[in-house]
Amino acid sequence: MHPALWVSKTGLSAQDTNMATISNNLANVNTTGFKRDRAVFQDLLYQIDRQPGGLNTQNSELPSGLQLGTGVRIVGTAKQFSQGNLEVTEQPLDLAIDGRGFMQVLQPDGQIAYTRDGQFQLNSDGDIVSPSGYPLEPNINVPENASTITIGKDGTVTAITDDQSAPQNLGQITLVDFINPQGLQAIGNNLYKATNASGDPTEGEPGLSGLGSLEQGMVEASNVEVVEELVNMITTQRAYEMNSKVVSATDQMLQFITNNIG
Amino acid sequence: MDKALYIGMSGAKQNMLSQRAHANNLANVSTTGFKRDFAQARSMPVFGEHHPTRAYAMSERPGTDLSAGALQDTGRKLDIAVDGEGWLAVQNQQGEEVFTRTGSLQVDVNGLVRLSSGEMVLGNGGPVALPPFDNVQIGSDGTISVVPVGGPPDQLVEVDRLKLVNPPREALEKGLEGFIQRKPDQAIDGPEPAVGDQRVVSGFLESSNVNAVEEMISNLQLSRQYEMQVKVMTTANENSEASARLLQNL
Repeated sequence: MHPALWVSKTGLSAQDTNMATISNNLANVNTTGFKRDRAVFQDLLYQIDRQPGGLNTQNSELPSGLQLGTGVRIVGTAKQFSQGNLEVTEQPLDLAIDGRGFMQVLQPDGQIAYTRDGQFQLNSDGDIVSPSGYPLEPNINVPENASTITIGKDGTVTAITDDQSAPQNLGQITLVDFINPQGLQAIGNNLYKATNASGDPTEGEPGLSGLGSLEQGMVEASNVEVVEELVNMITTQRAYEMNSKVVSATDQMLQFITNNIG
Repeated sequence: MDKALYIGMSGAKQNMLSQRAHANNLANVSTTGFKRDFAQARSMPVFGEHHPTRAYAMSERPGTDLSAGALQDTGRKLDIAVDGEGWLAVQNQQGEEVFTRTGSLQVDVNGLVRLSSGEMVLGNGGPVALPPFDNVQIGSDGTISVVPVGGPPDQLVEVDRLKLVNPPREALEKGLEGFIQRKPDQAIDGPEPAVGDQRVVSGFLESSNVNAVEEMISNLQLSRQYEMQVKVMTTANENSEASARLLQNL
């Protein structure tokens, strides 16, 4: 079969994947703490059809050979951990990280997941939990009669209860950082899991040792830039169209030869 | 058998090979730092003890277009584009030094700077390794400086300098993995010397230098050429049918 068919097919499927990445970014334009993905393209191996420098006749050499590419693939998606805008919500349990780092939540299976989505709430036991109901790690319990909860930039949680005038210390929210955050595995629900590529988490107090500080009453908006995604979408669509044009032109050639010869 | 049939067949086959080269260029229209391949046809006379009446066509890749692609703003600090001529030196999977303009750098878990495809990026003295950092900055001459974890932001520490090279264009070719390397007959002893005045821009990536319209037109042109070759084959077939008929009527 005509090799250009397969080459263009790789172009089509790579642009397809790129479109899926772009549409996922656009779909998450309002997702708190979402970090956008960028598809990384790479050309596939080249095949030597005729070796450069090979002998053409006994005493003449081919000056240049024929090395043909086999197409393109998406080698991976790179998450962009740039800071999203901080939006003021005035909710006492909304937290945004200003700088590097991730908050930790305890999943039902006992594993810790990492997130930058700081829309926390209280569950019926008074624990601070993520929107999916996973408790913060280390767990912080707010007494029933607490009237005001204050979370400092360094993660200290204090509350004023009805029966005491002095603020009561409830615990400390810690942040973790990874040497290579791009290596984290996104598992949905705004959560990430550590992998071999990301390295082990290093825990610390917010605002110290390179970690960002915590901002109470704010959430971090998605870092998706709509205009950029739309422009990417246009170029992807055109690249797709042109690759499919090659497929149809190639198909017509094959049709032409089967109709005319034989 | 009429020789024209074989000549037509060789033309059509070589058209298909050229088309594959153009299809590959078009497929890589979004690949960062991709350099398009040229495809050309050359006449190859048939050698032998007879009158040299025929010349077959032969497709070949005379080279790769090494011109720069457009710069794309990404805003990511570890994305770099080489300004003007020149290349970024990386180490391929076989441990050889090859050149690329794909400047999407990543830091792996050991602090080694790699391309997205995994190749280690070379600095002044071998692969670049960064200490744990809060912030990283790549200067216009390729110098990488970091704010170490917990360090004050005004004290940038210079870690290494990316190895930027600029071998003569005519000495370069594209290897089988898509990286640029020296042609075997242009090889030099030892590693490629780094160039001091080479510039990079951080926060940008170089897009593919494929001109999509040009590739499409080439493909259309080759499609038509192919049809003409098929026409030659049909005509050769008709001619031999006609002569067979004549012989039957003798």
